[in-house]
Amino acid sequence: MSARHILLVDDEPHVLRVLRLSLEREGYIVATASDGNAALAAMAQQLPDVLISDIQMDGMDGRTLCPLARATYPDHPFLILVMTSMTALDERAWARELANTEFLEKPLSPRQLVARLSRHFAALA
Amino acid sequence: MSLDLLPTLDYTRHERWLRRSTGSDYSLAVCDAAGAPCWSAPGDTTLASWITALNAGGFAWPSTGDGMQRHDAGDATLLYTPIIAKSGLIGYLAVRATTAATTATDVPFAWDALAEALEDIASTIADDCRTQGELDAMADELSDRYEELHLVYAIDRQVQDMTTGEDLFGELLESWASHMDADVAAFIKPGENLCVSATNLSAPIHNLDLVLVEMRGDLYRFSHSSRQPIVMNEPDDPRRAYIFTDMPFKILCCPVFQDKSVVAILVLLNHANKEDFSNSDRKLGEVLANHLSSLSRMHSMLAETSKFNQQMAAALIEAVEAKDPYTRGHSERVHHIAMEIGRALRLPPRELDNLFWGSLLHDVGKIGIPDAVLCKPGRLTRDEFTFIMVHPERSYEILRHIDRLKGAVPGARHHQEKYDGTGYPHGLAGNDIPYNARIIAVADTYDSITSSRAYRAGRSHEVAMAEIARCAGTQLDPGVVAMFETVCRAEPGWIAEFRIARDPVPAAAPVQVAVTA
Repeated sequence: MSARHILLVDDEPHVLRVLRLSLEREGYIVATASDGNAALAAMAQQLPDVLISDIQMDGMDGRTLCPLARATYPDHPFLILVMTSMTALDERAWARELANTEFLEKPLSPRQLVARLSRHFAALA
Repeated sequence: MSLDLLPTLDYTRHERWLRRSTGSDYSLAVCDAAGAPCWSAPGDTTLASWITALNAGGFAWPSTGDGMQRHDAGDATLLYTPIIAKSGLIGYLAVRATTAATTATDVPFAWDALAEALEDIASTIADDCRTQGELDAMADELSDRYEELHLVYAIDRQVQDMTTGEDLFGELLESWASHMDADVAAFIKPGENLCVSATNLSAPIHNLDLVLVEMRGDLYRFSHSSRQPIVMNEPDDPRRAYIFTDMPFKILCCPVFQDKSVVAILVLLNHANKEDFSNSDRKLGEVLANHLSSLSRMHSMLAETSKFNQQMAAALIEAVEAKDPYTRGHSERVHHIAMEIGRALRLPPRELDNLFWGSLLHDVGKIGIPDAVLCKPGRLTRDEFTFIMVHPERSYEILRHIDRLKGAVPGARHHQEKYDGTGYPHGLAGNDIPYNARIIAVADTYDSITSSRAYRAGRSHEVAMAEIARCAGTQLDPGVVAMFETVCRAEPGWIAEFRIARDPVPAAAPVQVAVTA
């Protein structure tokens, strides 16, 4: 099985750290970014298999980043997982138009995230 | 942990600082504990290649005492300082010095400054690694706490959505087994003979029933006396002498308390090759055990209440039927038949519940009828008949005191009304008669015809069906009659059970039947 690349985008370093640790333990290669612009730069370096992004961020937020990521790489419909803190339920409509995009609630359960990713990659195989 | 971190940090500023403090433009290389270079300034590969060559030549990075070390290698000297973290040696800082004099004593003064600078940088890096390591450990803790929170939220949400019943435990256990990634989750309450389990098997367990027996027996007893959670991970745990002997599973067992004594246990079981149960798992187990304690208590209370209700009803019916041996069993038969009709009509759950109690207790008002009238073998006089007519209203008067049975009352109160309005006590007609009452009326009529009296034997099923068909539209609701006919066409078991006579030949002529109590 070839290495799977995950790109984590969140402005809070502790979130990045917790998730990175869990994912690296499972053998994924994890890149991190603190806002949308850094994320796009990271994507240009290495296209991820999964993009996990927060919504509220300074600079470019997740709501701008995700459609942009989709549009920039139309031939690579990598899975997008959007992390939301459930305080703004009306925020989800925009994601419905994006293919292969789902919501996860913060704080994330690392175990559930790992299970979700396993299912995703198993389905691809 | 620190070993992994060394290559990931950036040392550009350390090199800059080295140059500034020594006044010379040294190149800095950071090497791992084996001496292999893992960082040097981007674009500058000469130092790294030189060190690699030295390593290939068999250089072993010896250290005498603390601080900067030296290794003369022809026209240049490798000066290196070990980086020591709490776990020990994690790497080296290395610079290359070209010196004119390379004897032990003839050493440039500049090297003193270099040695100090390198030692400072080494301890900074060691501190950095340690901090990162601590942050990672904290992140791990945080991660564990998130998992716990998630599980508690999930359980709480599930408990809110639940109705009661054994399904409650089953669904909770399934959820828990899945969240905790356990092979088996079980809730065992021997006092109520309750043993509910859910499996989420990563590999088969061929002796699952033996496993459950073990849980019900030795494990429960041990838990009951120790009153503490049990975590058994190691295959050579001494307790395996008497719990799960020869079954090398990993066990987490939490006692469920009620009024300070252990009434049940919650068990998680894993194959030996899975991860150990952790402290965090144990704490989550205790949270769940507390939830189960309340749920279990509620479940018991509901079972108690339900039992009480049934027994009270049985007592009431007994009181009525004690007086007249010929009506013994009548209430139960009418109840049984009415429920069959009700289910066939697909009544919603609440209405079915009302029918349950209404049909069972429809004749409770007979308690008010004098024995002389109730058991009179002959025809009743007009005055005596009045007592009979009043009994549905009596049933209402008795039952209306029970809030829980308010919905059941109309069925009992109006079961003697007739579809055409000539019934009693209120002369209601058609759809004004409560639906349950119309159902009970059909069942009641059927049983009156088919059961024995003091003055005649019970008529056959076929006679009864003919009579009921005849009364459809006048005495009885035709829709209910039609459904009853459908039910009977399927030859239900109760016909034989109630010992109702059958004749193969349909009744020749309609029979006049006196509608008595």
